Amino acid sequence: MASSCSLRHNVCKSSRILRIHLQKSWPNRCFLIFCLFFFIIIIIFFSEEIVIPRKKTWSKEAVLQALASTVKRDPTASDSRFQDDPYLTPKTSSEFKLFSLSQESGRNAAKYFINTYPKYFQKDYAQPHIPCLMPETLEAQIEEASEAALIERIRMRRVKAAVDLYDQLLQAGTSVSLNVTNQLLDLICFCGDHDLARENVPEQRNEETEDVQDEPQAKEGRAPKASGLLKATWKENNNAERIFALLSEPNTHSYSALIRGMVKYGAYSKAFSTYTDMLNNRLKADVHTFNALITAAPEVKEKYNEKWELIVDLLKQMAEQKVKPNLLTLNAVLKALRHCGTLGKSQAFPVISEMKALSIDPSLASYNHLLAIFYKTGAPIQGQTDILQEVMNEVSGKSFTAQDPDDGICISLQRYNGLKVYIFFMSSSTDIKQLGHANRQNLVEELLTLMAREKHNQEVQESFAECALDIKKIYDTGDRGKVLLSWTAGSLSDLISVLLAAHRRQDAWEMLKLFKTHNRVPSEELLNKFLTCVKEAGEVNQAVELVQISAGFCLPETPKLIQRVQQEFELTEGQRNMLSDLEIQTFNSN
Amino acid sequence: IVSSQLFPAACFRNIHCTAACLKNRAARIRVGKGDKSVTYEQAYHPHHIGHRKGWLSQHTSNLQGEDGAAERVVEDVFIRRFMYGTFHGCLADEVVIKRRGNLLVICAVMIQKLLPSKFYFLIGYTEELLSHFYKCPVKIEMQTVEEKVVYKYL
Repeated sequence: MASSCSLRHNVCKSSRILRIHLQKSWPNRCFLIFCLFFFIIIIIFFSEEIVIPRKKTWSKEAVLQALASTVKRDPTASDSRFQDDPYLTPKTSSEFKLFSLSQESGRNAAKYFINTYPKYFQKDYAQPHIPCLMPETLEAQIEEASEAALIERIRMRRVKAAVDLYDQLLQAGTSVSLNVTNQLLDLICFCGDHDLARENVPEQRNEETEDVQDEPQAKEGRAPKASGLLKATWKENNNAERIFALLSEPNTHSYSALIRGMVKYGAYSKAFSTYTDMLNNRLKADVHTFNALITAAPEVKEKYNEKWELIVDLLKQMAEQKVKPNLLTLNAVLKALRHCGTLGKSQAFPVISEMKALSIDPSLASYNHLLAIFYKTGAPIQGQTDILQEVMNEVSGKSFTAQDPDDGICISLQRYNGLKVYIFFMSSSTDIKQLGHANRQNLVEELLTLMAREKHNQEVQESFAECALDIKKIYDTGDRGKVLLSWTAGSLSDLISVLLAAHRRQDAWEMLKLFKTHNRVPSEELLNKFLTCVKEAGEVNQAVELVQISAGFCLPETPKLIQRVQQEFELTEGQRNMLSDLEIQTFNSN
Repeated sequence: IVSSQLFPAACFRNIHCTAACLKNRAARIRVGKGDKSVTYEQAYHPHHIGHRKGWLSQHTSNLQGEDGAAERVVEDVFIRRFMYGTFHGCLADEVVIKRRGNLLVICAVMIQKLLPSKFYFLIGYTEELLSHFYKCPVKIEMQTVEEKVVYKYL
C-alpha cells in the first residue's frame, strides 16, 4: 500500500514534469498520451488483485482409493487359504482338497485343546470383547429338568444331552408338549442320533455310534481321505424310533421328521413302512415327506418301470392329499429318473412341462439332472446337442441362486448368436478334474469332437482354441506319474483341427509332434487340412516337414501329399531332392 | 556404585547391584574353527541392527506415547518358543513377528522337512490356538527352503 501511494506521488510528479516539458514542445502530445497509458498500466499492475482458485475437496477415502488402484488381483496366485510358496501350493485338485482338509483338522485339534482346557484361554485382552475367540461354554445354562432346558439343549444341538433330558422328564412325569418333542425328533433325525460337533475328536467318540465308514484323522501320519465325511446309517431301535413310539399322538410333523431321517441315513424300506403307518392313521403327509419318499423310491425297487410307477403313485397321492409340489419335489423326480434308463428319457420332458405349468422355475440342479439323463456315454451325439441347445436356450441370460444341493456341480453351455453352440467351463479346466467322473475321458473327447465338427465364425473359433489349449493342459499335467487322461488319435486330431481353424498354426504344429510321442497315427484328412493351412501361410519348410512326418508314419497317402507339395509349393533344389527320395522310399515300401 | 562418606562417625559404603547384562556377549556367535555354519541373522551382531539387519519384531509400542511394550515383548518370546516347539527342527531362521493393527503376522522360513499337508496341519493348529490365546487374529506367512541358508562358516 505504501509503495503504491509513494508510486502514485511519483507518477503524479513525473506527469506534471512531463506536462511542463510538453507545453514547451507541442509535437510531443502523442508521446504524452502514450506515456500516460503506460503509467496507468503500471498502476493496475501494482494494485495486487489476487484470484483465489476454487477449493478442491477430497472424500475421506480418497487416499485409500488411490492406493487401492495400484493393487490388482493376482490371477496366477493360488487360493488365499494356502501359503504363497511353491512347495506349499497345491498343483492338483486332490492336493487342494488334502491341504485344505489338513488345515481344517489342525484347527479342529486346536479347538479340542481350547475347549478341553478352557482355563488357559480365559484372559480377555480384546476391547471390545470377541466372543468367537473364547473357549466354547458348552455347559447349558438351565440346570433343572424342565422343558425350557430341553429347548435350550436342542438349540445348542447337543443331541445326547437332549435325549437324556427328555427321558428324565418323562420319568419324572412332566409331560413334554408335542411341539418340543417334534423339535427333538427333528434334531435327532437330522443329526442321525449322534452329536455333530465332536465328530472329529477320537477320544470323545462314543461306542454306540459305530457305523462310521471313514473317519477323518485328526493327527498327521495318515492323510485324510478326500471324501472324508462320516456316513452313519440308521440303526434299529435308535432314539428317534423310541421317542416316536412314546408319542401318544404323533402328528404330521413327527412322521415327517422320522421319514426324512430314515431316508437321509439309508433306511429306505423303513421309510415306506412308516409312511404306510401314517396313512393308516389317517394323517396327511407334507411336501417334505413326499420329497424324501421320492428320493427313496429308486432304492426300493429293482426294475425301471416299477420305480417309475412308484414315483407316479406317490405323485398321485400327493395330488389327492392336496399337497403342492415344490422345486425340490420335481428335482427329486428328475434325480430318480437318472436311475431309470431309457424310461427316464421319455419321462423327463413331461416333468419339465409340469414344472412350467406349476410356475416353478427350474434350477441348475434340474438342468444337471436333465443332462445326466440324456448325456450317457454311448448315446449318439446328434440327439445330445439338440437337448443341450434347448437347455441353453433356457439357461442363457438367467442368473441362478443355489436352491438345491446339487446345484453345485454343473457343466455350463452357452448359446451364441442363436445358431451355434460353444462350450465354456464354469470355472477353469480344473473343474473337469474335480468332476471325477469315470467317463471323464469320453466327456472330454466328445467335447473336442463337438468343437471340431462344424465351422464357426472367428470369435467362436478363438474361444474354442482357448478351450482346446486348456484341455491340452489337462492331458499333460500328469500327477506324479499318474496319467489322468490318455490321448487318442481322434481327440488329438480334433484338437489340432480346432487350433487350425483358429489359425493357431504354431500350437497345432506342436500338437502334431505329440502324435509321435504318444504313438498315435494322424489321419489323412488332418494332414491335408494342415497342408492347406500351411499353404495359406506360405511356409514351404513346414510343408516339407509335414511330408516327412507322414512318411515317418508310413501312411498310405504319403505319395499324394508329396504330389500336392510338389505342385502347390515352390521348392528349392535340396527340398525337391528330398521329396523325390521320399517318393521312391514310399513306392518301394508299398 | 560405591559411595563413601567422609564423616568419621558415619563411615559406610553402599553397594548397589544390578543383574549382569552381558551386553558384549548377547546374540553374538564367536569366531571358531571354521566348521560352524551360521545364517545371515546369526552372523551379524546386534550393533548391526538397522544397518545390515532388520528387526525381528515389528510393533508400534516403542514409539513416543505408546504403551504396552513389555507385554509385546512377553508375547513375542512366547510366540517364538511356541513356533520353535511346534515346528520342531523345521525352522530355518528366526521367526519375524509383525503387528498390523489387530492382526498378528508370524513370518517363518521353514526347511522342507515335512510334507506340505503336515505343514498345513501345523499352520491351522498354530493359527487357531494363538488366536484364541491372544484374542486377536493370527496369520502365518510361511516360506520354505530346501536347507538352511548358510551365510558363512565361523
